[in-house]
Amino acid sequence: MASIRLRTVNKQFGARHILKDINLDVGDSEFVVVVGPSGCGKSTLLRIVAGLESPTSGELWFDERAMTKVPAHARNIGMVFQNYALYPHMTVFDNLAFGMVARKASRPDIQHKIAEVASLLEIESLLSSKPGALSGGQRQRVAVGRALVRNPYAFLMDEPLSNLDALLRERMRIELRRLHDRLQIPTLYVTHDQTEAMTMADRIVVMRDGVILQVGEPEVVYHRPATAFVAQFLGSPPMNLIPITVRNGDAILHNAASTPVPLPPEIRHGLDAPSDVSMGFRPERLHLSSASSVGLSISAKVETVEPLGSRYHVHATWHGLPITWVTTEVGIARSTTLNLSIPWDELHWFEHGTGKRLEPLRASEMSLSLEMV
Amino acid sequence: MYRQAPAEPLALDQTSPRHHRWWHAWDPAGVREALVGYGLVLPSLLVFLVFYYAPAMFLLYIAFFHWNIFSSASTFVGLRNFRILLQQPIFWQSLLNTGYYVVVVVPVTTLLALALALLLREVRHIRGAGLSQALVFLPHVTPVVATSIIWVWIFDPNFGLANFVLHALHLPQLGWLSSVHWALPSVMIYTVWHSVGLYTVLFLAGLATLPKQVLEAAQIDGARGWLSFRRVVLPLIGPITFFVVVLATINTMQTFSQIYTLTGGPHGGAGGPAFSTTTDSLLIYQTAFLYLHFSLASAMSLILFALILAITLAQKLLADRMVFYR
Repeated sequence: MASIRLRTVNKQFGARHILKDINLDVGDSEFVVVVGPSGCGKSTLLRIVAGLESPTSGELWFDERAMTKVPAHARNIGMVFQNYALYPHMTVFDNLAFGMVARKASRPDIQHKIAEVASLLEIESLLSSKPGALSGGQRQRVAVGRALVRNPYAFLMDEPLSNLDALLRERMRIELRRLHDRLQIPTLYVTHDQTEAMTMADRIVVMRDGVILQVGEPEVVYHRPATAFVAQFLGSPPMNLIPITVRNGDAILHNAASTPVPLPPEIRHGLDAPSDVSMGFRPERLHLSSASSVGLSISAKVETVEPLGSRYHVHATWHGLPITWVTTEVGIARSTTLNLSIPWDELHWFEHGTGKRLEPLRASEMSLSLEMV
Repeated sequence: MYRQAPAEPLALDQTSPRHHRWWHAWDPAGVREALVGYGLVLPSLLVFLVFYYAPAMFLLYIAFFHWNIFSSASTFVGLRNFRILLQQPIFWQSLLNTGYYVVVVVPVTTLLALALALLLREVRHIRGAGLSQALVFLPHVTPVVATSIIWVWIFDPNFGLANFVLHALHLPQLGWLSSVHWALPSVMIYTVWHSVGLYTVLFLAGLATLPKQVLEAAQIDGARGWLSFRRVVLPLIGPITFFVVVLATINTMQTFSQIYTLTGGPHGGAGGPAFSTTTDSLLIYQTAFLYLHFSLASAMSLILFALILAITLAQKLLADRMVFYR
């Protein structure tokens, strides 16, 4: 039984269609991350669940309760805002207490609960400070504490880590996830950061232009992206996408020379020929060719090498088309030509234009692991 | 050469100690910048000097002298002007009237302006909201003297709209401007009508700057209506409320035009009946330009100035403790 259910939710601001027929379930104690570029409607989706916006059409359910028309103050959800939105004129204690005061909790109850939450989040020493005196990370904790104090039905988080520096963001990512594992409160988390989505989510929801492109566990979405957009949005650096035309069993690269690349029969049969498709491969799945390599071989002319310490981002061209390779190999020199290869089953195929995933190899498995909406 | 350049303080660097002393700004760029700057402020500075600071300085001078507009001789009299003032019942009466006027008008205007601003903010997305805002602000842009004359008619005991309304509501009719008890309240009503628009607009501006997400957080926290207003909105607009109260206090302490126009004319000399509407600024005017006691009027102005300054400082001290939270 899902805790939060959205059914054919639409949202329009005038002529702008922000959300289009959104269907989404957040299960009990599930951590769902909605990810997408800015303007994709993910924040609006969250605000509809919070009650800060009302949908133009569609329904919202918390368990068996219809919530579509319930005002925000009666929904009992905890929300963490991007800029924390703490009450600047109140002490941390009062910030935490305000929600309980609004619900007319007794003073001892409030104190007991705040002591509990403050120790959980390690903000006991800050209780008498005002938000202006706190660091970003401390404000973040207080904002989480404020959402937590009322035993909310669900947690909504709107890019809660985006105002933190990289190091703190990494730490809070782990802490928030750990907190969720402990409290088991259903959580809907919105971010544009694919790393947050990958690392924190039980399930990822990828959105673009008001439409859900794919819902699934991070590993599934990463390894079997439903569209070319999802493929490029998740993963850093993004997946290499090479536009090709399949003709006479060859992949014709869309470069100046229209270089033909032979495809093995099992893939050739899965693709309609002639057709325009995009061939994708993850930068980290490429490896230096060896005698035993099978798969697509790529002769890459190295242009730049970005050392990141633990690995290198190698930017190269393959028959004039830009590709990226993530490797731990040391000593890759610029202007050299390398022989790389990638197994055939590591290649992704997407319809040109619609960007829809094609499964030339495993068409029969497609419906099993993909939850396409 | 290039390596030495950074050691020289930059001409635009305000924090460099050299620039605090303008006579050290010997470099041509600095001199030119200063010339251009002073040149630009000169016209308004001149106007201010001639019409504001110079009279103010002169006022400070004659307050301590026996000074006559018809003779060039003036004698230093120390605090005598002030002593005379303190012995005049009319001076105390005017202070009392002013106090009464300020104590009623400032809270009423502030509260009414806040209420109007909240109301206008609630309806801001409805068609015609802009017009309502304009209508609320409109009285403030009308000339005081002109609208005061209209209000003299409204307050007319026999034919005025005010008594007509009271009659329609089955309430006893009043003498308004001709009554010792109701003349000053009549002026208050006019002042509230005339000035509330300005403060409403100020509050609207203040409300527009409220952090939207904080209000939403309050909503999520389950607060609404009065609780949300008292615990979140009101503290957050504290700075603008402070500004409105200070401005309203200063304005009402100096009210002159409407008292002069409303209580003059058919009711005899302004400030009546029986000095019930003689506020300090009216008394200053009458002392100076009716009775030609410029020194006394100057002393009175100084007292009024000191009072306004003291009250504003007190308000500021209060606000520092209660209002500003950052």
